[in-house]
Amino acid sequence: MRRNRLHFLCAGFGLLLAAAPAVSHHSFAAQYDRSKPVTLKGTVTKMEWMNPHIYFYLDVKDEAGNVARWAVEGGNPSGLYRAGWRKDSLKPGDVVTVDGWLAKDGTNLANMRTAILADGKRVFGASSGGDR
Amino acid sequence: METSKRIARPIAGLVLMLAVMFQPFDAEAQSGAVRNPRDLSGIWRNQYTPDLASAIGTPQNPVQPPYNAYGAERWRTVDTAQDPTGRCLPPGPSRAFTAPLPFILVQQENMIGFLFEYQTIWRVIYMDGRGHPEDIMDYPEFMGNSTGKWEGDTLVIDSVGIDERTWLDTAGHEHSGKLHMTERISKIDQNTLRWTATFDDPVFFTRPWSITRSFTRFDDSKDRILPYTCTENNLDLDNLRPHQPNLDYKHQPESR
Repeated sequence: MRRNRLHFLCAGFGLLLAAAPAVSHHSFAAQYDRSKPVTLKGTVTKMEWMNPHIYFYLDVKDEAGNVARWAVEGGNPSGLYRAGWRKDSLKPGDVVTVDGWLAKDGTNLANMRTAILADGKRVFGASSGGDR
Repeated sequence: METSKRIARPIAGLVLMLAVMFQPFDAEAQSGAVRNPRDLSGIWRNQYTPDLASAIGTPQNPVQPPYNAYGAERWRTVDTAQDPTGRCLPPGPSRAFTAPLPFILVQQENMIGFLFEYQTIWRVIYMDGRGHPEDIMDYPEFMGNSTGKWEGDTLVIDSVGIDERTWLDTAGHEHSGKLHMTERISKIDQNTLRWTATFDDPVFFTRPWSITRSFTRFDDSKDRILPYTCTENNLDLDNLRPHQPNLDYKHQPESR
């Protein structure tokens, strides 16, 4: 019994950790601008489940029907894996709404805070943002 | 005879290391008593600390290290887009123990190894009484050169020759090649290690200063060390832009 309870606690702690920001290899603010939040709704075209952070790509259509390709950066694969996410948690063809922050360099790049599928399911709870 | 002994010893050591690494997670020993206080082996989870000032003080009231004028100016002007680990260089010993990723501690009588998930890198601590190499300052290492000894049940690690290109944290606290780092690790209970690191660097600081963090045992029956191959897809590098967050830092030398 005690053992089970401890495992449960550990799992809870793991999720907490995973929900916390998880950039360690460089400063968030050297790449993204916290004063520029962005919401993108688009169709996933590709997932790169790779280190040091995952990237996925979206086709985002504007009101005139023009399609722009966006790159979205997320957390570190091992942190996401421990939080229960897998590389196919988000698949090509999925329609997703991403809340995040724009890159400082003005390209079509955003860092994800949340990503929500069309059915309301939230994926990839961990951003790579958070410190400084 | 001699040959077989030479082969048998490392094999026995390896078997012991593997046995220790894969021993089951010890939940029954939660009650506080420390068994085998000098057995620090296992998989451990760091306490994520991207800014050491939050460990010198608190997250709410961070305290900067005791900078001298030179160190203060380096801190004031640091550009976090120049973070060496952003280019996938090794993190150095301070960041390896404060990143949000676990490590394995493997232990033999004459040697202790730390295998870090972060950047897939390791440290070796020589426990056989040797000193640092005479020419270590001319040939620094990203993770430093480390010797260790026991003081009671506390492991004391002495490191020099830590490459000055490494940073002490993500926030951008830097150091020189003259950094002398002393770490003390002790087992608080079966599932907790306490780590105290003291940083002594006369080029940057007016006196040695310390931080203390905890490592928590990681349930290796349910999880494992995962790949962290930083150069696999380091797209961030192309998008980093100069960022100097401390330009309004005012150095206040300590009054003695």
